[in-house]
Amino acid sequence: MNRRTKAAVLLMLIALIAAPMVFAQGQKAPAGSPEVVTVVKITGIPWFNRLEEGVKQAQRELGLNAYQIGPADADPAQQVKMVEDLISKKVAAICITPNDATALEPVFKKAREQGILILTHESPDQAGKDVDIELIDNVAFARRTWDMLVEGMGPTGKYAIFVGSLTVPLHNLWADEGIKYAKEKYPGLELVTTRIPCGEDQELSKQKTLELLKTYPDLKGIVGFGSLGPPGAAQALKEKGLAGKVAVVGTVIPGHAAPYLKDGSMTKGILWDPKDAGYALNWVAKYMLEGGKIKDLKEVPGIGSVAVEGDIIMVNAMVDITKENVDSFGF
Amino acid sequence: MKRLLARHETYIFGIIVVFSIIITAINPNFLTLENAFDILKSNAFTGIMAIGVLFVLISGGIDISFAATATIAEYLTVLICLRVGGSMLFAFFSALVIGIILGAVNGYLIDRFAVPPIITTIATMNLYYGLLIVFSKGRWIYALPQYFRTFADIRVITLYTAEGLPYGLSIVTALWFVLMVLSAGLLFYTRLGRSIYAVGGDAISAKRVGVSVKMVRIFVYAFMGAMASVAGIVQALLVQAVAPNSIVGKELNVIAAVVLGGASLAGGVGTVSGMFLGVMLLAIVQNGMTLMRVPAVWYDVFVGLVILFSVGSSSWKVKKEKVGTFIDIEPLSPPMVQEGGR
Repeated sequence: MNRRTKAAVLLMLIALIAAPMVFAQGQKAPAGSPEVVTVVKITGIPWFNRLEEGVKQAQRELGLNAYQIGPADADPAQQVKMVEDLISKKVAAICITPNDATALEPVFKKAREQGILILTHESPDQAGKDVDIELIDNVAFARRTWDMLVEGMGPTGKYAIFVGSLTVPLHNLWADEGIKYAKEKYPGLELVTTRIPCGEDQELSKQKTLELLKTYPDLKGIVGFGSLGPPGAAQALKEKGLAGKVAVVGTVIPGHAAPYLKDGSMTKGILWDPKDAGYALNWVAKYMLEGGKIKDLKEVPGIGSVAVEGDIIMVNAMVDITKENVDSFGF
Repeated sequence: MKRLLARHETYIFGIIVVFSIIITAINPNFLTLENAFDILKSNAFTGIMAIGVLFVLISGGIDISFAATATIAEYLTVLICLRVGGSMLFAFFSALVIGIILGAVNGYLIDRFAVPPIITTIATMNLYYGLLIVFSKGRWIYALPQYFRTFADIRVITLYTAEGLPYGLSIVTALWFVLMVLSAGLLFYTRLGRSIYAVGGDAISAKRVGVSVKMVRIFVYAFMGAMASVAGIVQALLVQAVAPNSIVGKELNVIAAVVLGGASLAGGVGTVSGMFLGVMLLAIVQNGMTLMRVPAVWYDVFVGLVILFSVGSSSWKVKKEKVGTFIDIEPLSPPMVQEGGR
């Protein structure tokens, strides 16, 4: 009995250790075509599952041997190891969303010395890359969000901002840019309190919205960054019979926001489609492998126009999520 | 001993009263029935998990894995409900079965291999949560069964605001209260309940007087799993969506609330009423900060200060009394009897 339990435990351990490796292998595509590998921050979360669809689309349409891999948790060391493995495999290009920009610098250098292209995503300040691709222009993204807010609540009145946490760079950058923009363009808007860190927790966002409504009964709008802020706010409004009377805008996952957009408790959402990111990364990789120059790039077909700043390519791919188009995203 | 406990609860209650007065002075909207009902509804989820944590702490253990248990129970139950239909009652039943099994595994491992509970439950937390992520691929469930939507809106007491909008005591709050009353009864009036205190106070002595320490431990962790699973369903009811990563990470808040309510990490001490006050104190502080227009960057500082202040001052009082009443004597013989737990 005792020996058997031990054996069972050992077997389970082996299975547990082996399982993630099996999952990390990814699928193989026909050989001969250039091998372009996308390394994501973490496998198995909806965001990167969606990104992988773009990679698969690129594999089908662009004739690349394109596939996606990634660590089981957001671990920089594992990403480094994966890139090292890809270098010894002599792939043509590596597209990567870094977990840690500095940790990857040395392997990027090594890869480029061997003629492997390095394309990064969501890491504009990355050193050691060939090119970085961003799907949104952060300033334009923030401005569009505030325009949406004004569409919902009018150009005057009180509003509040939710962010994922006070240390998430993107959320706070958007908030900074939006506040700056509002000062110039919509002087009638009044921010009631500093940004509240609840946007990654729906229950907390709901609580904070209820509290805000009690503290500022004339609140007219909420901007939520972090995909759970707007749904939480919308839920609170519904409970208090205020759906449609207070505007709610911000970043949302379409599938999650659908019921709130449809019943009017959420005004509009804004986002980019990670699938577009997966496709754009591979498209640019192919373009560069065939000798294309970044500075001549004007657009990524099917995704959008392109603005180039040094080695950063910004594809304009932000989309409004409304009750009409919310079901068309498929994620 | 009993008087001391009573004093701790009155103490926390006093702090709550003082806070409420301060918050109300700044924003009179705090002291309304509507706000009270909102707080009680939002915190039912934390509160139900806290009942389980209380039992574990009293027995002298600790559990870190309950958030993972709650997530698994929630996720699997909703999946099952979507597959085979069912009802709210079935959902709670299915969650309970899952929760009790996962909890009992913790209890068994802790007792069988005598591994410190904190390590065991950190391990099982990773195991449970990891397996969930592997098999769910992190997928969220947005489309809950219809009865999940209607059940969450049920109110036990319904009142109307001046504008004619309904508000009131939510069914999930009522559920929390019923569970608290039942657990208080179990702790104080049953042999099993008293055994939990005995095991937490001094496991060896408890064994000598004929308590089955093993059964008590397994019961306590299984009970924790049961409470976690109910809390998981409550969370799904409150949020109307199920995400594999939405509960994990909230463990420490719950444990802090229970300790704030007077339970001892060393075991043997704690009451349901104290736990309730601890949960409420944290809830009121968090609620009050927005109502008092405190900027968000100060939230954590404020919460930290309140915990330090409330726990610090009451245990300081205990310490003073203890030093005055008894003298510690080191045992001369080899310490085969562990020095007396409190």
